[in-house]
Amino acid sequence: MMRGPFARRLAVAAVAFSVAAGALVGLAFLAGASPVDTLRALVEGAAGSRAALGETLARATALVLTALGASIAFRAGVLNIGLEGQFLAGAVAAAAIGPAFSGSPFAARLALLGAAALAGALWVLPAAWLASRRGVPEVLSTILLNLVAAAAVSGLVRGALQDPAGDYPQSRALAEAVRFAPLVAGSRATAAILIALAVSLVLALVLGKTPFGLKLRATGLAPAAARAIGLPGARLRLIAFATSGALAGLAGGLEVLAVTGRLYDPFSAGAGYTGIAAALLGGSNPLVAAASAVLFAGLGAGSSAMQRDTGVPGALATIVPGVLVLAVLAARARQTGNEP
Amino acid sequence: MAFRGTRDARDAGLALVPQHDLLIGAASVADNLAFLDPTAPFLESAPARRARVARVAKAFAFELGDAEARVDTLSVGTRQRIEIAGALASDPDVLILDEPTAVLSPDETAALFASLRARADAGGAVVLITHRLAEVFAGADRLTLMSRGKTVKTCRTSETTPEEIGGLLVAGAEGGIHPSKHAARSAAAGVTSSLTLTSFAPTGSRGKQISLSLSPGELLVLLAIDGNGADTIARAIAGLEPFEGDVVLRGVRLPGRGDPLAFRAAGGAFVPADRREEGLVAALSLSENLALPDPPGRLFLDRRAMLSHAEGRLAALGVRATSAASPAGSLSGGNQQKVILARELAHPPRLLVAVHPTRGLDLASAAAVRNLILDACGMGAAALVVTADPDEAQLFGAPICVVFRGRLTATVAPATPVPILGRLMAGIPA
Amino acid sequence: MTGFLAVTLLLAAPLLLAAAGELLLERAGSIQIGLEGTMLIGAFAAFAAARSGANPEAALAAAGGAGLLAGAAFAAFAVAGRADPILVGTAWNLVAAGGTAFSYRLLAGATGSVLEIRTLPPFVFGLPAAVVGAFLVPAVLHTFLACTRPGLRLVAAGENPLALEAMGGSVVFVRSAASIAAGALGALGGALLVLTVSPTFVEGVTAGRGFLALALVVFARWKPLRLVPGALLVGGATALQYRLQAGGGTGIPYSVFLALPGLLALFALAAARGRGGAPKALGTPAPRRATSPRPP
Repeated sequence: MMRGPFARRLAVAAVAFSVAAGALVGLAFLAGASPVDTLRALVEGAAGSRAALGETLARATALVLTALGASIAFRAGVLNIGLEGQFLAGAVAAAAIGPAFSGSPFAARLALLGAAALAGALWVLPAAWLASRRGVPEVLSTILLNLVAAAAVSGLVRGALQDPAGDYPQSRALAEAVRFAPLVAGSRATAAILIALAVSLVLALVLGKTPFGLKLRATGLAPAAARAIGLPGARLRLIAFATSGALAGLAGGLEVLAVTGRLYDPFSAGAGYTGIAAALLGGSNPLVAAASAVLFAGLGAGSSAMQRDTGVPGALATIVPGVLVLAVLAARARQTGNEP
Repeated sequence: MAFRGTRDARDAGLALVPQHDLLIGAASVADNLAFLDPTAPFLESAPARRARVARVAKAFAFELGDAEARVDTLSVGTRQRIEIAGALASDPDVLILDEPTAVLSPDETAALFASLRARADAGGAVVLITHRLAEVFAGADRLTLMSRGKTVKTCRTSETTPEEIGGLLVAGAEGGIHPSKHAARSAAAGVTSSLTLTSFAPTGSRGKQISLSLSPGELLVLLAIDGNGADTIARAIAGLEPFEGDVVLRGVRLPGRGDPLAFRAAGGAFVPADRREEGLVAALSLSENLALPDPPGRLFLDRRAMLSHAEGRLAALGVRATSAASPAGSLSGGNQQKVILARELAHPPRLLVAVHPTRGLDLASAAAVRNLILDACGMGAAALVVTADPDEAQLFGAPICVVFRGRLTATVAPATPVPILGRLMAGIPA
Repeated sequence: MTGFLAVTLLLAAPLLLAAAGELLLERAGSIQIGLEGTMLIGAFAAFAAARSGANPEAALAAAGGAGLLAGAAFAAFAVAGRADPILVGTAWNLVAAGGTAFSYRLLAGATGSVLEIRTLPPFVFGLPAAVVGAFLVPAVLHTFLACTRPGLRLVAAGENPLALEAMGGSVVFVRSAASIAAGALGALGGALLVLTVSPTFVEGVTAGRGFLALALVVFARWKPLRLVPGALLVGGATALQYRLQAGGGTGIPYSVFLALPGLLALFALAAARGRGGAPKALGTPAPRRATSPRPP
């Protein structure tokens, strides 16, 4: 989405980030708290201690993977706004088959994550079909699939997947042995974040350095030209779309496996949408998008701590990514010359 | 006088019929005339809008057709009459038309010129922007020759000749055809067929089925006024539109559903009419564009090979670019077209399909592009070139096949006089 | 059954208003997928005004005013700024969801108790005047597009922006005006939710209705009058869901009814034969005024 030298991209990010920081201070002021105290609470809550950093990294896993999912789709010219639904599909798959496993943790995790990724990929199929056969923009169909997925989660945790041991609308918990253990004591960070970061490296290599990546980018940048040149545009777009869904599904699976241990309602706090914001902020570059996602996760962890410590409402974690994206879009609009 | 916008110009009595489409395709003729009428009232009923159509059609003796018809279902000639009627409705002092005949048949052109002449005789000023000499001498009182934004000559048409203006037009341009290529073409002839069409027709075309065959090295020009289906024939062969019947490329039968990949795999190359949309990926670098559709490298891209390949090709074609790493979108139209040909001809194709390959190019670039196509034929490729310009068709020195309403109506020698080509293009037997 | 019908109309009205605004904006060639956010802003504005002592009518007007501003802000980014409207819309939803939640917490404090507001008084058949008015909007919109000069120019902005510019119009102006109107209609739709259906604000009170309104526009194939049956269908499905939920023990899984509006819209999309009727220039940036001619 965003082109140009890395330095310019960084400059835009810096401008956007200062705008967001300004907004943050302004909101703290509105809430009647001292901006300095608020900021300190925020930063300490995000990275001030081992526990805080662990919280940030634990939250980052889902955001990094959905941001990567959004990035590969956007680079191929697929406007997948349905990462939220694909995330939920992955979580449902993991929560559905997870409690059945108790033996070898490695095999169980592999099966769970595979199922989650597959569920996420399958959840894009209706949208892919509507787009290719009916010309329905993915934007509309994926948004609707998000609604359906949220409704399905709500129904499943009260129905087929409900934990028979209690009255709560939640699924059975995974066995402790299957769940990811913390990397270090006193922190919630697990190997899940390492998986997410490894995926971002792989994706960066695939997009930037392989023949497949070049073909994918060409398809996204100029679909008509790609078709006339003889690139398999429909196939490339479908691969990108399904990969995007698989990454979001993997995010949902890892959320169950490493963070929550089970499915409940509402399960997602908008991971799919925040992931899209991180991808936009990172110009759909996998590495920058992953960094943006970690930043947003820090905001989330920090604003929870902030709400606890200073009483400033924690909704900041949602506002700031949105404001950042708007600031980037505005800055970019000023930078780009005559070409739309 | 200086104009800050179109509104100022219109208030001063100027009306422009631009080259690009002015109409709302999804709306009716009545709605479009209301849209083009700056004096239309705020609220206007459908009958009132229909009445305007009748009024305008009568006032200018224009055939505007059904007032309720959706404009995107009408012929280009009718659409243009609607635009001109809209411009005339405000009774401008000066009417400016930019390349109005590019999409018209000779009959439609004659009718247009008759009405323009009538308007000029009645005291209205008409400015016609065109690149066709015949049109200038057919009706204009005065002419101004412009080249690259500068005025070259202004005079009365009675004081000069088409030959003189024509000479000024092509001055400095590299013209002509390599004579050696003709020899190569005839030498290669007689080998197995490169392209065979049997009972071929683009899906949904109104034309008859086409059967023809091209040998290696053979070039065929498809000449047609836009909208007669020549573009669609070329695009269907290239797999960009579905078709019925058989297309066999060097023994390989192409699927009729429209599959550009199969066309490419069989050795086809394609130069699209719309180079910005279909020719290049503007945001990618020249070396990346030239590496498509099969970039080198097994696991990772071989950037070094891409760069040296691109530099070689660009130098060979005389493309002026700062570097092979600069984005393709930064080049001029002529250079973009050369890059497209460089990519298409990187592996000598068995069949080259080119649609309006020189449209919009300056004369030097046009000649270079023509020579590249002829060179490809010299190397054994069959070529199918679509053009709407009879002069251009002649310059290839190859048989010209005229397409009218989707049919191949005549195949004539390249030396056929332009007036005869014009009659054939309009569907009048020569 | 009149109860069911009244609930259907009550539930359809917010959708209809929001969808009508979105349809206007899309016919002008832009698209705001952050409609959900605009509805939330409207709902919150109405709630905040009502909590500050305004009567329900004034609260509705306050929501309309907030919507005008929201539409202007979207236009500043996505129309005048020429940023991709899809991206602006995504960010818009985040800002609106976070912003209304933040503001609600400030207003409500940490009490967590439900803050009720007064609803709009009934006008006819137990329905408030605003709900009845919502059903007139598509007809007004149809007349505007079909029979007025600004309507024609708006259609031109969505079908052939260059033609509008050549006629001396401004695509940026037309789309911005459409965006402002769409913002107001979307916010009024959101306000109707808290002023009729459930007389309080909760975070995310719109519950995906903005997204459904987007789908309705496609379902209606960008024709204003066709919004009415679509909105009634979704409103009816939602009313049925409420009724069966309240009745309990229907044997049909609860989740089916939650998913129903989304599924209906998806099937409608599948049946609607795609983009047929979509404005040609939908989602494309407004043309820039040429400053100097390009060399060939």
